Amino acid sequence: MKRTLIILALLLACVSVFAAGGEKGIVTVYMPSPAGLANKLAADFEAKTGIVVKTFQGTTGEILARLETEKANPVADVVILASWSDGLSMKNSGQLEPYSPAAADKMVPGWIDENSMLFGYSASAVGVIYNTLIYPSLDADWMDLADPQYRNDIAIPDPELSGACKDFVAGYVNAYGWDTFEALAENGMIVPGANKAALEAVTTGEVGVLIAGVDYNAYSSMAAGEPLSIYYPASGTVVNPRPAMIMKTAPDMENAKAFVDYLLSDDAQKMVADAYLLPGRTDIEFDNRSTLSEIPQIPCDWQAMMAVSSDSAARINDLCAR
Amino acid sequence: MNGKKIAFAALIIFLSLLILCPLFSIFAEALFQDGHFSLSNAVSTIQESENAAMIGSSILLGILVVIISSAIALPLAYIFSRTQFARYRFFDVIFMIPFMTPPYIASMGWILFMQKRGLMQQLFPSLSFLTDWFFSLGGLVMVMSFHVFPFMMTMMKNAMLSVPSSLDEAGAVFGVSFPTRLRKLFLPLLTGNYAIGALLVFVKTISEYGTPSTLGRRIGFAVFTTDIHRYATVAPIELGKSASLASVLIGICLLIWMLQNYITARKTYNLISGKGSAMRTRRLSIGTRVAIIIFIAAVVFFSMVIPLFSVTASSLIKLRGYGLRPGNFTIGNYIAVFTEDKQGINALLVSIFLAVSSATIAAILGTVIATSIRAAGKKVGNIIEGISLLPEMLPSIVLVLGIMLFYNGIYKIIPIYGTIWIMVLSYVILFLPYTIQYVTSAYSQISPSLAAAGRICGAGPLYSFMHITLPLIARGIMSGWMMTFIIAFRELVTPSLIAPTNTLTVSTYINRQFEQGSVGKGMSMAVICILFSLVSLLILNKAINRKR
Repeated sequence: MKRTLIILALLLACVSVFAAGGEKGIVTVYMPSPAGLANKLAADFEAKTGIVVKTFQGTTGEILARLETEKANPVADVVILASWSDGLSMKNSGQLEPYSPAAADKMVPGWIDENSMLFGYSASAVGVIYNTLIYPSLDADWMDLADPQYRNDIAIPDPELSGACKDFVAGYVNAYGWDTFEALAENGMIVPGANKAALEAVTTGEVGVLIAGVDYNAYSSMAAGEPLSIYYPASGTVVNPRPAMIMKTAPDMENAKAFVDYLLSDDAQKMVADAYLLPGRTDIEFDNRSTLSEIPQIPCDWQAMMAVSSDSAARINDLCAR
Repeated sequence: MNGKKIAFAALIIFLSLLILCPLFSIFAEALFQDGHFSLSNAVSTIQESENAAMIGSSILLGILVVIISSAIALPLAYIFSRTQFARYRFFDVIFMIPFMTPPYIASMGWILFMQKRGLMQQLFPSLSFLTDWFFSLGGLVMVMSFHVFPFMMTMMKNAMLSVPSSLDEAGAVFGVSFPTRLRKLFLPLLTGNYAIGALLVFVKTISEYGTPSTLGRRIGFAVFTTDIHRYATVAPIELGKSASLASVLIGICLLIWMLQNYITARKTYNLISGKGSAMRTRRLSIGTRVAIIIFIAAVVFFSMVIPLFSVTASSLIKLRGYGLRPGNFTIGNYIAVFTEDKQGINALLVSIFLAVSSATIAAILGTVIATSIRAAGKKVGNIIEGISLLPEMLPSIVLVLGIMLFYNGIYKIIPIYGTIWIMVLSYVILFLPYTIQYVTSAYSQISPSLAAAGRICGAGPLYSFMHITLPLIARGIMSGWMMTFIIAFRELVTPSLIAPTNTLTVSTYINRQFEQGSVGKGMSMAVICILFSLVSLLILNKAINRKR
């Protein structure tokens, strides 16, 4: 009898953990990594407004899949992706609600789309990340990594999972064609998984070089003391604004708008910078990473990139699987 | 009497809703397109070259795992039943450890151990040639075989124990040599049991999701379970394809169960009779004994030491770039699991909640069902038993896919899709058979005359159930509860398909950290998970034994 009571008490305790909810309502946000930043933003927004934030964290691929499954019963209010081109395709399929956030005028030019539906509240760039125990220094351009001296020692994040990598591949092949990736695949390039798994491969030395690795992950690992370094090859990379978007089907529209305003606020933007991402506003100062102007960029035609991005991501996986 | 009939009918309808409806949703999704019946869709899915190749490789994997796990399990079964090693009973417990370690954790341990510049290459650089071999079908077969072999070992050991020594002695008296006795006498008696064991291992292998989703994905080896999961979760979502593959998998499993029934009916011998059947164990030469000890040590090393060492070591490494190196160890990963954010502690709470609630509901429901199976006539009892044991015969990913499709479809009537309750429901369905089997076996030891005696003394049906039957089956119920609790705590398939937003369990937390977060934190949680299972097993075991 006593045991039954204890079990009942445990059950009740657990249920109460889930039943907790605020009076101000909720906002459901789907966002990609870094998990630390997502949690901090959610906690700070909750503290400031009393609105409870429910998050789903996953890769860009997982978030898109989730939205598709829930089409009949939409749950998400705000969706953040790590790929601008995926954001544009959501806009084209009419899933987004326009809004004019308070801090719009302070944002990096071009990081709000012309319909005011995509808000690039932060950005990442991809670069070459290398293990300094294996290569004390490195500054080879993308194409040079197809050299036999790097044979079987190169990796790339899975572009079908990593939005940043996907947009880089699309931007690069639109500008320079497929020769480089074909040569890299020929040189034994592997696809270990999403961003963090790919970084893990270069951290442990499973490979010496990671191409198209997202920079914020590398900066935070370097700050922790891992034997890594990063550079942006001279022929340029893609800086990828990470769009926050309000769903047309948002069950909590007002809270969704408040959350987007919050993402562009001073405090949130400082957190973005602290997570080694590029902040979406021009007036936020940071010194823990390369600034936007220091990164050599490939000129981007996002519409053209969007058209090829999914197919080229699949092609990378095909090339490397051979 | 009429009331009783209505009650049984209600139970059958309830179980059908719970278990059969999700299964039918799968067939419906596979066969109906925009409301029209069409076989072409399902057929074309199966004929797609990559899916056909996947079906082939799933079956190949199943066969290879049966072969390798037999090679491990059969000698061990013989050693522990017919030789002087049989008296070391503690090996029974030791060989449960690989079976109790969640397969996804064991294969993560193997990956971290074997990968290029991984733990093995740091400790023994000269063995680095093994890495390429490991990251291939061979490695996958090895890891899966070392997980399932205890299952076959236990079955075969019990079968060998039931062959009386007198048969062997009779052969010896007639001057038959040992190898011939083994071939002509011992093995034919066991073929039925072996066939059943091999089929079960085959079904378990093609139903397994944990190892293929970690190691299999790493080497690009797709099987049924991983493809069903991929079509259902990665954009672009193709539930129809997922359902078609699930239907094929259901077909294969049911076919194998039928085959198994056929063999059981034809190839079993009555070996246990009233005659004395004293077991005499073979005395072995010193050379043979040394060889056996080396074999046992190797199995223990590969099935337990390597994965557990690798998981523990990885949880204690500070900077992954420097690996196993003095001064590079920390317990910081464990602290980070609980302090860095709320995810770690929430995952633990969610898993405990799911384990407690589903074990409790399954225990109550399972007892009701087991009681009804006994109380109903043979025909009705068989129907109830058949439906309620179905979840054990089918791969859990298939059932969970069905639950997902079914409850998404009836969201307007029963809105539990996307909440924690659909997970509780799914766990209850998946683990119901455990309680039913434990309670049924407890029932089989109770003579009906006990309840009859109670009735004669004036007890009503309810009173005699509460005061005579229930106390006697309580241990069976508790065993079922315990089994469900431990398995539910670390369940991977349900949460990776239908966990609501914001909800991580221990298993998805470990997976997420392993793939996208910090491997150190993931492996810390894995160690916590293994210790938690072990400690709860010990505590509950003690609680149950005290009652006896």
